[in-house]
Amino acid sequence: MKELIKKIKDSIPLSKEAEEYLFSISNERTVPKGSVLIRQGRPVDMVFFVTDGCLRSFFIDRHGKEHTLHFAIRNNWISDYIAIHSNESATLTVECLTESSIIEFDTEKIYGMLTMFPELEPFQRANLERLFISLQKRIINQLHLSAAERYDLFLEEYPDVEQHIPNYHIASYLGITQESLSRIRANKSRT
Amino acid sequence: MRAIQTIKYGELKDSIAINEVSKPSILSEDVLIEVKAAAINPIDKSIVLGNLQSLLPLPLPSTLAYDVSGVVVEKGTSVNTFEVGDLVYSRVPQEQMGTLAEYVAVKSNAVSKKPGNLSFEEAASIPLAGLTALQTLEYSGIKENDKVLIHAGSGGVGSLAIQYAKVKGAYVYTTTSTDNVSWVKELGADRVIDYKTEDYKSIVKDADIVFDTLGQHYTSEAFEVIKLGGIVVSIAGVLDEETAKMFGVPDYNLPEELTKLIRTKEARYKYVFMHPNGAHLNEIKLLVEDERIKPIIDKIYSFADSIDAFMHLDSGRAKGKVVINLS
Repeated sequence: MKELIKKIKDSIPLSKEAEEYLFSISNERTVPKGSVLIRQGRPVDMVFFVTDGCLRSFFIDRHGKEHTLHFAIRNNWISDYIAIHSNESATLTVECLTESSIIEFDTEKIYGMLTMFPELEPFQRANLERLFISLQKRIINQLHLSAAERYDLFLEEYPDVEQHIPNYHIASYLGITQESLSRIRANKSRT
Repeated sequence: MRAIQTIKYGELKDSIAINEVSKPSILSEDVLIEVKAAAINPIDKSIVLGNLQSLLPLPLPSTLAYDVSGVVVEKGTSVNTFEVGDLVYSRVPQEQMGTLAEYVAVKSNAVSKKPGNLSFEEAASIPLAGLTALQTLEYSGIKENDKVLIHAGSGGVGSLAIQYAKVKGAYVYTTTSTDNVSWVKELGADRVIDYKTEDYKSIVKDADIVFDTLGQHYTSEAFEVIKLGGIVVSIAGVLDEETAKMFGVPDYNLPEELTKLIRTKEARYKYVFMHPNGAHLNEIKLLVEDERIKPIIDKIYSFADSIDAFMHLDSGRAKGKVVINLS
């Protein structure tokens, strides 16, 4: 929780009252590998801040295949924001790829906090903007970059993640087959 | 709910029907799976034809098939390994046979989460054949650099056995017909023998393991190509004495000819009987997600066309698995 408070204080001034309240609505816990925190088709009432480990959000298509949308590592937030903001069931599943330490917040309480402590608004807005920018970049990159370039960006964005997660999650995130991923890696190691 | 049932023993087209049956209820250790896809295997056909009446006496009508993939919609009170909403696959235990239905209740220890990179149809094609391949090769003690002969490489079991043997680092010989040589080679087999133009007995020498998927004369021939001290594992030959005892035939003796062959080669012979196992399916899941094993599907049928699916299986023309989509 200290890390999150520090992250907030690095970007905005945080009153003692707001800090105490944030602490009171947080639940810090360690979740085992494979745990599902949000399940596609179910209501979403939590957002998660990752302090250690790696989580992913993915979409299951009508044929039952998984498509990875997003990874969350240390100091990242993860949830299903479509579901939260449209008050609909989850369109994504969020699972832990490694044993992970997270801080979870009830969505109603954390968004209610913005009314109680408007000083937190800029921090919240910056978080959402960062997420929006990241997703916009991901779409643009998917449209015009080669698979090898997208792989390089993945390595930049998620350093040290590669060795902890199965290849098929990375291939799925990049929208390529594992065979292509192996080829890209082999080419990289030759150059 | 709707279910595909065998209503009597006999010709496939006259003995299979779509019936309305009650939704199964679950016991404490079961999960209820909403079936998205089911696959059929030679055993399902044999059941309808009545060839297994003495071994597997069934009340008629009985819902058919063992392979399934789908979604957990309910779980028993003692199940803590699955949650409602999990996408799973299974080869259901004998007493829970009946995956060609909208729902099937399955003991949770026979279930695994399905490979995330496969569709429901692809996942349903794996369990029975995959478990047979894994359990038979594991029984044989397969290890790196072993020379293994796997008969019928284009079959449901053979195609997965080739890939599993390659995962284990073995050198794989397999037999198949001319039409299948190229795609069987792509599965990773080191030497694909076209049985229409080549005699496998003159090519395979001193094999450590023979995986006999065909039975009949292939079982005894296995001892011609095996090394001294090798092992023949079979899923189609005669029972061995230990397995016969397990089936309640204590006085059973191996045919004399086979006993002699075993003795001459100082070899072992074992009939391996596949058993449902969720942990083994999870091992296969990880290999599939790593793209070290891939399923081979011949054709996907709709639920309404299930009888055609059985006829296609019976034709012997299927190259890979026959799957029925229920979603």
